[in-house]
Amino acid sequence: MALRTILEFPDMRLRTIATPVVNFDSSLSCLIKDMLETMYSAGGIGLAATQIDVHQRILVIDVSENRDKPQIFVNPTFTVSDQQNLDYDEGCLSIPGFYETISRPKKVVIHSQDQHGKHFDLEADGILAVCIQHEIDHLDGKLMVDYISRLKRNRIRSKLEKKHKAL
Amino acid sequence: MQKSLNSRATAAIILADLLNSKGSLSTALSKLRDRSDYSLIQELSFGCCRWYWLIQSQLNHFLSRPLRTKDCDIRCLLTIGIYQIREMEVANYALINETVEAARELNKPWATGLINGVLRAYLRGEKIKTFEDPTCASAHPEWLYRSIKAQWPAQAESILDANNLRPPMTLRINAQKISRPSYLDLLKKQSITASVGRTKTAVVLDTPCKVDLLPNFEEGFVSIQDEASQYVPEILDLKPNLRVLDACAAPGGKTCHMLEYEPSLKVTAVDINKNRMQRLKDNLKRQNLSADILIADVKNIKNWWDEQRFDRILLDAPCSGTGVIRRHPDIKVLRTYDEVLTSIEIQKQLLQSLWNCLRSGGLLLYTTCSILQEENQLQIRDFLKSTNTAKCESIEIEWGVECKYGRQFLPEVPTNNQNPDGFFFSLLRKT
Repeated sequence: MALRTILEFPDMRLRTIATPVVNFDSSLSCLIKDMLETMYSAGGIGLAATQIDVHQRILVIDVSENRDKPQIFVNPTFTVSDQQNLDYDEGCLSIPGFYETISRPKKVVIHSQDQHGKHFDLEADGILAVCIQHEIDHLDGKLMVDYISRLKRNRIRSKLEKKHKAL
Repeated sequence: MQKSLNSRATAAIILADLLNSKGSLSTALSKLRDRSDYSLIQELSFGCCRWYWLIQSQLNHFLSRPLRTKDCDIRCLLTIGIYQIREMEVANYALINETVEAARELNKPWATGLINGVLRAYLRGEKIKTFEDPTCASAHPEWLYRSIKAQWPAQAESILDANNLRPPMTLRINAQKISRPSYLDLLKKQSITASVGRTKTAVVLDTPCKVDLLPNFEEGFVSIQDEASQYVPEILDLKPNLRVLDACAAPGGKTCHMLEYEPSLKVTAVDINKNRMQRLKDNLKRQNLSADILIADVKNIKNWWDEQRFDRILLDAPCSGTGVIRRHPDIKVLRTYDEVLTSIEIQKQLLQSLWNCLRSGGLLLYTTCSILQEENQLQIRDFLKSTNTAKCESIEIEWGVECKYGRQFLPEVPTNNQNPDGFFFSLLRKT
């Protein structure tokens, strides 16, 4: 197991579109373990493989209060089941320290595989629905800053670039 | 995805937005209802508003130089820290850790040392003098403190203290659906303890609870409304089939109450605020009641009035809200006397234009949730001077302070189960 480095906006590698997982083998479970460890240590509630520069369609999520209910999604997609939107102040491990109100469908049904390749569906609402949509965006090379105004996006970009330079 | 900001950081942002005059406390909080730490955020932000002026004066002792304007969020975090030490039972190390961590989450790691230092110094009790300045000790802004002292000399201390207490949660029973004793039984079954209030419809809960825990709330058995304003239908002498205007009606608490009291009334409800009017519609629907709903500026009667005079008018005028500070402590932080002057002007215009819509012999009930004479007594005195068709009627209820032009309820430290909001009634008859 190892902690991986999380890419930070405006790193262009975050714009890569991930490819579906085909082999459900031990290297996959090893990667998932790393992702969970990385997510927990960064204080995140969700992490997409894209964020650690692995461009396969894998997500780990834990929205539980006690951080003890990890959920794993391989090749996930979703369909919207409630057209109503929910506003939520989202934060992103790849855009540390910034929170922006984003509006997304309130309820979704997730179609996914687990780490062994078994298919399952899951209805999600509230924070889980927000999180899964946020993470699937990562797999498609999208970031939450794509939903906000260019002015705000550029402000965040320059602040993060300044921080990266200082390091 | 990153987890949400911690409770202290969230409360600090709410307070900072409030101080930069962005919105109100209740709208900011309404967006967070889904969060598991909602009640903590609510406690912190309400509490900091309640004690804002006192904590600021204490805080100034600890800051060697003032914080920059853009660091308003750090000032708010320090306020939150001191509030927790003063009023909440949180272990000191935990509250300091969490508050310091909040500064980091707000991207201001430079402030961690400052927060740590100030809160620890505060805990050691350094530099805190007993407050000679009574304005600070009362946690009121100076203009309001002076008005209360000058206008209500006998009750001032009690009003000031009451404004800093937590309000009771009071229900209004819908007599069309259930009797008060039967509803008390329903509450008992849910282990919610409560007692009857002074008006015929009021029930006061011993401790506030979430609305969704109230039995049959969705079916319209009860609504949430302070006891003082539950006198409206009684005072307005509502009789079957009267034509009633509810001016400034949203969100519709009193509209519904009048219809529950006398279902045959023909009520026209007018308000300018579209969003709040939606809440009025929801409230009517929940209770299965109906009224004519108009979204318009009620002052410009040409725009909405069909020229048919009303038998009764309820004018619940926009006001300073100085009677409901315990429910909306942000009023103490934000309200300025200039805004009060604006309200006074609007009230005057409302009285003058709506008077034309009243039939002779009809009654207009003017109410505010203010305790300032210039919005209440003096407003009515000036109106009576300006017209010769109005007569002020006496209000026969045994509660509140009798004034020359109406009846004033004052927020007071509760005695004998008396615990209404500050509220003013004046009943005018057209001759």
